[in-house]
Amino acid sequence: MDRGPVFPRKTAISYKTEEKTVMRGYNLSDLAEEGYSFCDALFVLYQGRIPTESEEKMLKYEMGVFLEHSMSPSAVAAIGVSAGRPNLPCAIAAAVSTFGGVHGPGAAHGYMLNKYLERAHRDGKTPEEMAKVLVDEYMDAEKPVMGMGQPQHIDSDPRAEPIHVKQEELALEGVYLRFQRALEKYFHERRKREGRSRVGVNVVGSGNTALMEIGFSPMAAWCLGSVCRGWSCAAHALFNMKKGRAWGASRNEPMVQMIDLSMIKYVGPEDRIVPKQEERQEYARKQKEEGEYKQWAI
Amino acid sequence: MGDLNDIKRKRGIGNLDSPKMPFDYYSREYGTVPRDTKRAPFQWVSEVAYKNVHRIVTRGYDTTELMEEGYGVVDILFIDYQARIPLIEEEQMLNYVMILALEDGLSAPAALSRIVARTKTFLTQAAAASILAFGHAYGAYSAFGNRLENYLKRAEVQKLSLAQAAALLMKESANEPESLGVSGLMLNDPAAKRTIARAEKLGVAGKYIAFMKEIVKTAQSQSEEAVDIDMLGATGAVMMDLGFSPEATWAILAVTRALAAGAHYIEEIERYPYMHLGEALTPREDYDGPEDRPVPPLQDRAKVAKSGVCKSVDEWMENRLERMKLVGSGHAVVEEIEDPSKKSGIKKVGKL
Repeated sequence: MDRGPVFPRKTAISYKTEEKTVMRGYNLSDLAEEGYSFCDALFVLYQGRIPTESEEKMLKYEMGVFLEHSMSPSAVAAIGVSAGRPNLPCAIAAAVSTFGGVHGPGAAHGYMLNKYLERAHRDGKTPEEMAKVLVDEYMDAEKPVMGMGQPQHIDSDPRAEPIHVKQEELALEGVYLRFQRALEKYFHERRKREGRSRVGVNVVGSGNTALMEIGFSPMAAWCLGSVCRGWSCAAHALFNMKKGRAWGASRNEPMVQMIDLSMIKYVGPEDRIVPKQEERQEYARKQKEEGEYKQWAI
Repeated sequence: MGDLNDIKRKRGIGNLDSPKMPFDYYSREYGTVPRDTKRAPFQWVSEVAYKNVHRIVTRGYDTTELMEEGYGVVDILFIDYQARIPLIEEEQMLNYVMILALEDGLSAPAALSRIVARTKTFLTQAAAASILAFGHAYGAYSAFGNRLENYLKRAEVQKLSLAQAAALLMKESANEPESLGVSGLMLNDPAAKRTIARAEKLGVAGKYIAFMKEIVKTAQSQSEEAVDIDMLGATGAVMMDLGFSPEATWAILAVTRALAAGAHYIEEIERYPYMHLGEALTPREDYDGPEDRPVPPLQDRAKVAKSGVCKSVDEWMENRLERMKLVGSGHAVVEEIEDPSKKSGIKKVGKL
């Protein structure tokens, strides 16, 4: 049996022999035997270190509160994919793939914090001063401030403020929380001044702040959030695969199904005749000249 | 839309008016289907979780309250998949299994994540790709677990001892060695056996671990080569004793591995350049397909082209065997794919 690496690479993450699997220098089996938690192992993986107890608690809290979010794009994707009854991993992969760089726990928020903190360092400003600069620059440019607002939890994301408070309770307040809190303060003040409604911090704004405070990069934080959502999305897909009907279109169900024909609302071009091949060139030329098609092009 | 159909009927459209068609194509309606008011409107039905403006609730527990009460990410897995709070020992055991499942060196999930990373994608795309690597060999938790369940049920019905059930399982599963949980992979690495020992120490070992031990004994008595419980056998049996279904186990451990696939993605883009379209070459010496040959002129097509249509079963079989020789054609792959849809819908919801 060839037990060589699937993909030859120099790596600083892990090695695996017939005797052991070693991640960042620690034998994984020993790590588990010593009673470290899975969250501890994530610190080892992404930061090459054993975390403090408080840091481990913070990660456990953040991932736990983010894991399940009922019907979000990720769960909907998993359920949609599962309707065709592929292998379960396809549904989970689809769910994780819904998280782009900006939405969900995307890395954008973390990059934004790092960029402005670097500016604060360079320009000799405090986090509070730089947070005001950030808010003004984003809002002047009419760009959304990362980490603020949630389309469903319009009256404060139920996960967000508790994460901030937990971070404070665990005495994990550092430059990130100070900066984020200041950012939120100026954000609220400016919106109020402009007569706009209050938009609360979301789970990314607070969660990412906590994750970065405990040493995770924006990219690692993105991974932790997006991938851990895969667990709950798999549960939603499994529920539908085990207890629902394949395809999501059956007319025998008492409730109209997800892709029942009646769920389709069409607003495109009117029904029309397909030109025969001998008519094609003239038809196509005219269509192109008239340009009506452009309103439909996407 | 009658007019449009009349026009089309007069014009004719290919074979659509063929008498072989079991319908009158030109009487088919246009337009979308009106809303069905006789049935309840569509809703996302879930037994797992709901949310509103102020709460996210899984299996009846508010997730923020869970965290505030000191539960964590691993507890939520029990709640999401089993609708229950785990015992402390169960939570400890799942932590243990997940640590082992987190990293596996440059195996298929990490390799896939890295390959996708090199094409310059989002991290999530690469992590998702790593989950797709959990097929029925590398991530055989579904086949493994369902087999354990089936044979334990048979043991109960047929009044077989665990040893007898294990012997039966081994006899009937010889053609699926990748999902037995017994192999030569962990002969020098104690991690699998330590996992079982930990489950026993924590008091969470149950019938699946007991059965797995019998399977190992049977395999060892039958195999000419040294074999022992491997990571699939150890973590799979433990997860099932923790109450997770085979599919839940599959999902939980694939996602666990994906958390490390993210690190592989990051390292790949930190250490190596992106790969461009057309950049990767495949050396001639790695190629063992047909020899280089000239493309025949198009006007000679009729002379050189050979129909693939077989007129008799004998001809078909002869062709089939020949086609199997072309690696990559798929003719040599023979498998059966079962429809996993076993349930007939959620009748308890949706009635008006």
